[in-house]
Amino acid sequence: MKKFALLSALVLATTASAQSSLSGTVTVWSWDAAAKALESTVPSFNKKYPNVKVNVVDLGNQNVYDRGLAGCAAGGVDMPDVYSIENNEAEVFWARFPDCFVDLNTKGADKLIRNFPAFKWTELTANGKRFAMPWDSGPVVMFYRRDLYQQAGVNPTAIKTWDDFIAAGKKMNAKFGGKVKLGVIANGQDDEWFRMLANQNGCFYFDNDAANVTVNKPGCVDALNTVKKLLAAQVVATGDWGGQITSFKAGRTASAMFGAWYEGTIRTNAPDQKGKWGVYQMPASRAGGVRASNLGGSALAIPSASKNQAAAYAFLENALATSNGQVTMLKSQGLVPSLLSATKDPYVNQGQAYWGNQKIWKTILDTLGDVPQARGTQYFQDARQVMIVVQADFVKGKYKTAKEALDDAARKISSATGLPVAK
Amino acid sequence: MTTAPRPAVTRPAKAGWWARLPKAPYLFILPYLLIFLAFWAWPIVSSFLMSFKDSRLGAAAPYGMANWSRLISDEFFRTALRNTLVILLVQVPLMLSLATALAVALNSRLLRAAGWFRFAFFAPLVVGTVAYSAVFRLLFNTDFGIVNRALTSLGLPAVDWLNQSGPAMTVLILAMTWRWTGYNAIILLAGLQGISEDVYEAASIDGATPWQQFWKITLPLLRPSLLFCLVLSVIGTLQLFTEPALITNSGPGNATMTLGTYLYQQGFRSFNFGYASAIAYTVAAIAAIFSVVQLRLFGRDE
Repeated sequence: MKKFALLSALVLATTASAQSSLSGTVTVWSWDAAAKALESTVPSFNKKYPNVKVNVVDLGNQNVYDRGLAGCAAGGVDMPDVYSIENNEAEVFWARFPDCFVDLNTKGADKLIRNFPAFKWTELTANGKRFAMPWDSGPVVMFYRRDLYQQAGVNPTAIKTWDDFIAAGKKMNAKFGGKVKLGVIANGQDDEWFRMLANQNGCFYFDNDAANVTVNKPGCVDALNTVKKLLAAQVVATGDWGGQITSFKAGRTASAMFGAWYEGTIRTNAPDQKGKWGVYQMPASRAGGVRASNLGGSALAIPSASKNQAAAYAFLENALATSNGQVTMLKSQGLVPSLLSATKDPYVNQGQAYWGNQKIWKTILDTLGDVPQARGTQYFQDARQVMIVVQADFVKGKYKTAKEALDDAARKISSATGLPVAK
Repeated sequence: MTTAPRPAVTRPAKAGWWARLPKAPYLFILPYLLIFLAFWAWPIVSSFLMSFKDSRLGAAAPYGMANWSRLISDEFFRTALRNTLVILLVQVPLMLSLATALAVALNSRLLRAAGWFRFAFFAPLVVGTVAYSAVFRLLFNTDFGIVNRALTSLGLPAVDWLNQSGPAMTVLILAMTWRWTGYNAIILLAGLQGISEDVYEAASIDGATPWQQFWKITLPLLRPSLLFCLVLSVIGTLQLFTEPALITNSGPGNATMTLGTYLYQQGFRSFNFGYASAIAYTVAAIAAIFSVVQLRLFGRDE
């Protein structure tokens, strides 16, 4: 017994010293605000591991993706120790290059499963391997201009369904003579509104086994119908990512619906509108329906080629699996934690000055548990490309019904991916 | 006159072609050949082989016709091909007629400060593609662009340029014409300057009007230069990528998607190199056919 105690003490001592003896450099690839957020967790990491030098490189979103694919295709050449990856795009990597990244279960990630919501893991695991750790998420929320809503006599708390939203938009049109819209939809350039609404209704391009095309299921039909109704009622305008930003900066949009990471986009692009903005949950498709959805969100992976995997995993753990790390990133760049314990952090319950002292993070994070699961699969981009076109054609009137449009979309996605259309 | 006996050629009887082969020149071009094989020839072969693999299944995928059969039934590919052909049939003739007119004007002895004008029309080519694409996006912005400002101030309705298929294609064609007309005009100008003055003098003496001179002398003699511009423009259009990618983002929907942007989308967004290779080979084949046809039709020498 004594011997056992001694042995275990010895084991403990060696692991402890092994931890603090981590050294070397950890290179992290990321983009824009996300890179800045990771950078902000470095001080707390270095408190635990003073001998590890963290080098966060901001390559820009597209570059990280492109260089990662190229690196994996070349068998792991020129890869960093920590790699940022968007959930939607993650499965392309696992499917084409299953050996390019470390199975984090071997590092102890299997113990952390319950610390994150299930929907965040769906795209990060394949064939029993856990290739990346959930980072931020994109719970969808409606950002709105308090002053413009008030002037038009619209009460945001009364907007519970999309029909309410359309009625509010008509009031807005009447008040401002159509100069201020209730939102901007990227019709023809993107299908993100369709995706947010479909996800809300529990529908997506593919089922969660990534085995069937499900884009013509009732939840998606409903979503596409709503998109057309919004555009037909002229309560929303059309515009791409840049156009949307220009619009709210110019005060021509009274609200914007996006993943909660859009908080930072509004706050940093329109600092002069401080105090004028607020947040409410996205409207439901019918009274009492789900008012939550997810758009975007990322994860961190460790390339197999990394020479410093232990230190890289320690970095992941500190930044993503601790409340402190996640809340640090929320404070600095508005990245929404997907770690469940971070949602109970006192900071989350504080009013935010830019948002008229509203406790927006509580509103946003409270929806996390309601987000239906959805899976991008490795065919996400193919499906998205089809849907962008079908949505635009449907809005233009090329199809008689949303069901007909989505049957066509399902057929096209199926022929592009080889996956069957679900019965 | 007697012919001197020819000296006997002292050739080792057994030496084969290898020994007779002069080695030095080949040694000199060897580095180039190796690089050519590694970075040109091999990728061309490799992408051909890849077009028979479903690269989405990973490295172990068997060879098959999956990509080629998809290509035949792919509506997106047909859309891309159609859009590319529309640009080819509208933009290239428009640009070349403008360039010819411009070249004639620049060549005129009546023009003062000809050097300055030549520079001015060539200048768009010096501007970075990304920069000019961004500027065009701004100019044609629906709410804030100067084009719509101008239209509305003239009492005309504003156009939602980049969110409607017809107008988006128009913007694309305008942008490319703006950028490439000067380039072609300079090539044509060089061709014009190769035409001897004597021909025109003779024609004037015979009483030919300037208009007749243009049709009967300038155009026929300019044909080699025009053919050169045409072949370059056709190949350029078939590879068209930057403008639709940066100005219209292939949209709205797929309205301005070209073979180039579709190839890129399949290769680098979906990372489906097998299918992208099949598209690339098809584009190359189309370009080859077009070039042969043009050379046959317009390239005959009299």
